[in-house]
Amino acid sequence: MCKLRQIFKNFLPGILLLVSASLLAQEDAYRRASELYKTNPELALKIIDSVIVHPQTQSDFNCWTLRGYIYYELYRKTDKLKLHSPLRDSIVSSILVSNKLKPDSLGESSNKKLLKNISASYYNLCTKLLQDSINYERSLIAYNKYKEIHLLFEPKANFDNNDIQYYLAVGSVYSDIFINDNNNTAAGEIAKVALLKVLDLQPENPGANINMGLMYYNQAAYLSKTLEFGLEFDQIDIVQENMIKLAKQAESFVIKVYNKDNNNVKAMECLFYVYRMLMDIPKSDEFKQKCIERGVKFETEPKKEGGKK
Amino acid sequence: MFCFISLRFQQPSSYNTNAKFKAVFIYGFTRYFEWPDKKKEGNFVIYVVGKNDDLISELKGLASTKKVGNQDIEVKNTLNYESGIASSIIYITPDRDIKTVTDAAQKNKNKGALIVAEAGGACKSGASINFIYIDSKLKFEYSKNAAVKAGLKTNEGFKAMATVNID
Repeated sequence: MCKLRQIFKNFLPGILLLVSASLLAQEDAYRRASELYKTNPELALKIIDSVIVHPQTQSDFNCWTLRGYIYYELYRKTDKLKLHSPLRDSIVSSILVSNKLKPDSLGESSNKKLLKNISASYYNLCTKLLQDSINYERSLIAYNKYKEIHLLFEPKANFDNNDIQYYLAVGSVYSDIFINDNNNTAAGEIAKVALLKVLDLQPENPGANINMGLMYYNQAAYLSKTLEFGLEFDQIDIVQENMIKLAKQAESFVIKVYNKDNNNVKAMECLFYVYRMLMDIPKSDEFKQKCIERGVKFETEPKKEGGKK
Repeated sequence: MFCFISLRFQQPSSYNTNAKFKAVFIYGFTRYFEWPDKKKEGNFVIYVVGKNDDLISELKGLASTKKVGNQDIEVKNTLNYESGIASSIIYITPDRDIKTVTDAAQKNKNKGALIVAEAGGACKSGASINFIYIDSKLKFEYSKNAAVKAGLKTNEGFKAMATVNID
């Protein structure tokens, strides 16, 4: 026993020296990585990846935060416009580990800053995918990721306003497509679902109500536009019936906007066309007059026709 | 940092659906009447009396794609009724006085012109067909007597198509 103690005594300084040398080596590696991450993130990445697996530094939040920033440098250069990016995923996972290791306030704020950047880049990506690529499916993935990442640094965030803004944009992009090509019913469905989501959150939203109304109205106009000469009278009657149903649906959305704000010129213009389609001449004249008083110019001068019987 | 998504409003279609339905109806009428032989030569003239640019545009579209029997369709338009214009169908717009209907009916007795109007009491004033709107739908009244007086051979089945038969 005494012998063993003696041996231990003899080796202890050596063990301690080795441990501290190793620790110092890891600290040095961390320092090197933090110095290199802006100028040579590829090398910094190799260094930090060895640091975070080392037992003496793997529990240091600083290492994980730095890893996130190093990955961010690489991601910034190549992957910002990619919907699926392993680099981006590594940033987020590094920051999540760092957050679990209870960082100090500076570390916490650095982590939050990085997550904010990632969340914002998802948002920007979702707008690009929607407006430039017209790819709702991918845009929605990006939008949901934006919200998911945002919740990591602001768990109580409320996305109602963002949802309204996003789904209004989806509605307007896809109703545009549908109005230009009424055979593209898939686009029409995306637009309707998106606008109805807005109306769920904000039933009186003027943009959603007017665009919904216009989708129905323009669909009704398209029905008559594509009506073939030579149809039997009973078939014409069916087309009229369908057109009227659509026009009345259009009215129900747009009138809500007008009743809430009877200075809404877009609502007045829509109502003029809807009532003209429904042959409600007194109302169509009333809205036409209101539009003219507010400087609306019609593509072709609307004409008076026979009234209701 | 954020690229804001902007809301765009759609444009309401300025397409005049009522003009289209009228044009489709007018063409539909040609299947139910027989015009005298002298009207089966040359073009089948649809004469619009009054102002309705959208309807004229629709009828011109019709003329470019369809025929009545073997006849090409020709669309004519004047603001006031001119008896010198030989035509197979005369459509009188609602902005014209009812006297225009009476006048056109008198001047076209036995000449084989189907007079279509859009005014209260038009069938009693000599029009064979009068457009009416019921619950936002375009329908028509029919006067078989007026059609016979105009020199047209009528089809009994047509009466069933009319919402109102005047006689």
